[in-house]
Amino acid sequence: MIPRVAYHAGTRGLHRAGPFSTSLLLAGMLATVLASGSLLVQLGTLLLVFLLAGISGESVRRYLISLRFVWIFAVVLFVAQALSIREGVTVFRVGFAITDLGLLSGGAMALRFLVILSGSFLFVLVTDPDRLAQSIIRLGVPYRYGHAVILALRFVPFFRNELRTVREAQKLRGIKPSVRSISGLRQTIRYTFVPVLVSGLLRVDSIAMSMIGRCFGLHPRRTTSHRIGWSAADTLTTLLAAVLIGVTVVSRRYPWL
Amino acid sequence: MSSSSPSVFAIERLWVQFPDRVDPALEDVCLDIEPGDAVALTGPSGCGKSTLLRAMVGFIPGLIQAEVRGDIRIKGQLLRDADPAEIASHVGLVQQDPEAQICTLRVRQEVAFGPENLCLPVDEVNGRVDAALEAVGITHLAERDTTTLSGGEKQRLAIASILAMDPSVVLLDEPTANLDPDGALTVFEVLSRLREQERRTLLICEHRLGPLLPMEPRLIVVDKGQIVHRRRMRRREDLFELGLRAQWALAPRASAGAAASVAPVVVRDVSFDYGLGSLLDDLSFSMEAGTVLGVIGPNGGGKTTLLRLLAGLESPRSGEIVRPETHRIGMVFQHPHQQIFERTVRRELAIDGFLSEADETRLLQHAGLAGLHAAAPLSLSLGEQRRLTVMAVLRRAPDLVLLDEPFIGQDRNNVAWIVASILAARDRGAIVVLVSHDIDLVASLSDQVIYLDRDPVVGAPEDVFSRLCEREKEAYAPGYWDGGAS
Repeated sequence: MIPRVAYHAGTRGLHRAGPFSTSLLLAGMLATVLASGSLLVQLGTLLLVFLLAGISGESVRRYLISLRFVWIFAVVLFVAQALSIREGVTVFRVGFAITDLGLLSGGAMALRFLVILSGSFLFVLVTDPDRLAQSIIRLGVPYRYGHAVILALRFVPFFRNELRTVREAQKLRGIKPSVRSISGLRQTIRYTFVPVLVSGLLRVDSIAMSMIGRCFGLHPRRTTSHRIGWSAADTLTTLLAAVLIGVTVVSRRYPWL
Repeated sequence: MSSSSPSVFAIERLWVQFPDRVDPALEDVCLDIEPGDAVALTGPSGCGKSTLLRAMVGFIPGLIQAEVRGDIRIKGQLLRDADPAEIASHVGLVQQDPEAQICTLRVRQEVAFGPENLCLPVDEVNGRVDAALEAVGITHLAERDTTTLSGGEKQRLAIASILAMDPSVVLLDEPTANLDPDGALTVFEVLSRLREQERRTLLICEHRLGPLLPMEPRLIVVDKGQIVHRRRMRRREDLFELGLRAQWALAPRASAGAAASVAPVVVRDVSFDYGLGSLLDDLSFSMEAGTVLGVIGPNGGGKTTLLRLLAGLESPRSGEIVRPETHRIGMVFQHPHQQIFERTVRRELAIDGFLSEADETRLLQHAGLAGLHAAAPLSLSLGEQRRLTVMAVLRRAPDLVLLDEPFIGQDRNNVAWIVASILAARDRGAIVVLVSHDIDLVASLSDQVIYLDRDPVVGAPEDVFSRLCEREKEAYAPGYWDGGAS
């Protein structure tokens, strides 16, 4: 199960920052958990994610619940890592030795996974996808690619709904998905993905006609009437990203941290 | 047509042949459109109307492969070798499904999309956006997320997006096909305004011709790829004379005496929402065997949700739906490709059990799909796909038949086949629930009608329509779309 990720409109905390600075913050968080070997720093980064979610008006409880599958997978990662590493000092035994290195390595891996997923989830919650795509274009990325991002964002809920409807149509027609045999699996794939694919292609055709019908691609450049300003929240968010990078550098220099 | 012709559009002997079809889609079509003209284009489904519009904007053969002969000129200039994007600055096409043409995430940006592509200065882009939003009456929606708009709002947005390009000609492909009566009425008002105040040249492909009468458009009737009638449409009688007025209101509603073998379905105090405010609130009604329940109401009013609840695909937040577990349920979805699974029409029908060749031929013949047993279902037209799904669902003889907009894209003959299928299901004792924006058909077929909105109305058709009339919902009056709107 994948958490249902979608932008929530809001006016507090990170919602006030633009996509450029929130992207920097996400990059800062990812750099911190990937580059720093310190469990303390990784745990701090995870707490920072929850703090920022709260400041941004998201219910931390709901946020944690919506990440429940991420939590479960993080625990699985931790246990698998702790069980598989034999090096280090034995801390306790459950039939075989669980070592301090296993626990530390499992903890680091689980925390990295949690920060990457929950940080990305927070980024999606607070970043207006439309402004994100506009920022990408403003950064000099050719507008065709920028619009590809917008279209991709428009297609996410579309495919989700199509898949659900196709499954419901199968159910009402008495078609039961089967994965017990190769022929059953093939039929399930064909019965499910062909209708979804056809829907997608029809939609792509219509949107392509709609875009070309409004002169998309006529000129190598296009006007951008949507202005994205820089606010105090952007400055604060960028500073926070810089602090995270600084902490990473320090924690690498002083590994005992 | 010489280049000095005053025609904004001059089409000469246009012939279009798609590679996978035996008959040409258009044959020797000749049409002149003068500046400021209003043209109503009508004809049975699959007759070539959409093909004509797509050829007029260069999508055929520019984007859709086809062999094209003849000439199309815009203001004297040949269209043949022009880039569709270049043509778009002169001619704008509003497609049938507004949802499928929105390519941005905000209303204002959607309208600005075209002018931005024209590389206009920012001030001019903003000016055009404001003017277009005002022209279709959606200035208040400028900052809204496009996914949160209703069907009518989306269609007005699609029109505004084209108007912002400032084309000399606006082509509209069945702009009200997916809209509820109020939404359709608003779109017709917008079109009238464009004609009267802005003197735009309009070509409107429509089945509902009554509301276009005040524009006194030139009526072009297409059949089997050819123009078969041309005349100025001034009076309702013009529609009678051409046989374009629907006669469903005359159809008898009385059941032939159903076998009451199917247990009734009772909906008791049902409430439901998707977490965005209440959609259905304490809804109660019951349905007896051998009856048809017509469901009408605005886009987003909960009609499809009601079908989903009846089918057991959703559970009520409160209240209950009482029906036997043994009820066989058949549901025709709004988009037929979502319930087509097999590679050929024959295999698709076989999903629901063995079918002899004779029965298959008879069924396909009645549904207007004769000779298509080996065709790939997804290569059929949308109207054909919809009839295939109706046929496949009804083959299982369900006790509860749920139909979501089965008449979209069907011409009179095919509507007649679907109507006959509904009546046959009813007469064998099934409970039929019919969701449709076609008020005349709902009025003539239903034993009971539900108008779903914040304040729903349930009852006998006459009572429901009379109460809607009291609420000044004149677009929901039977006969309104048959000329009464004028």
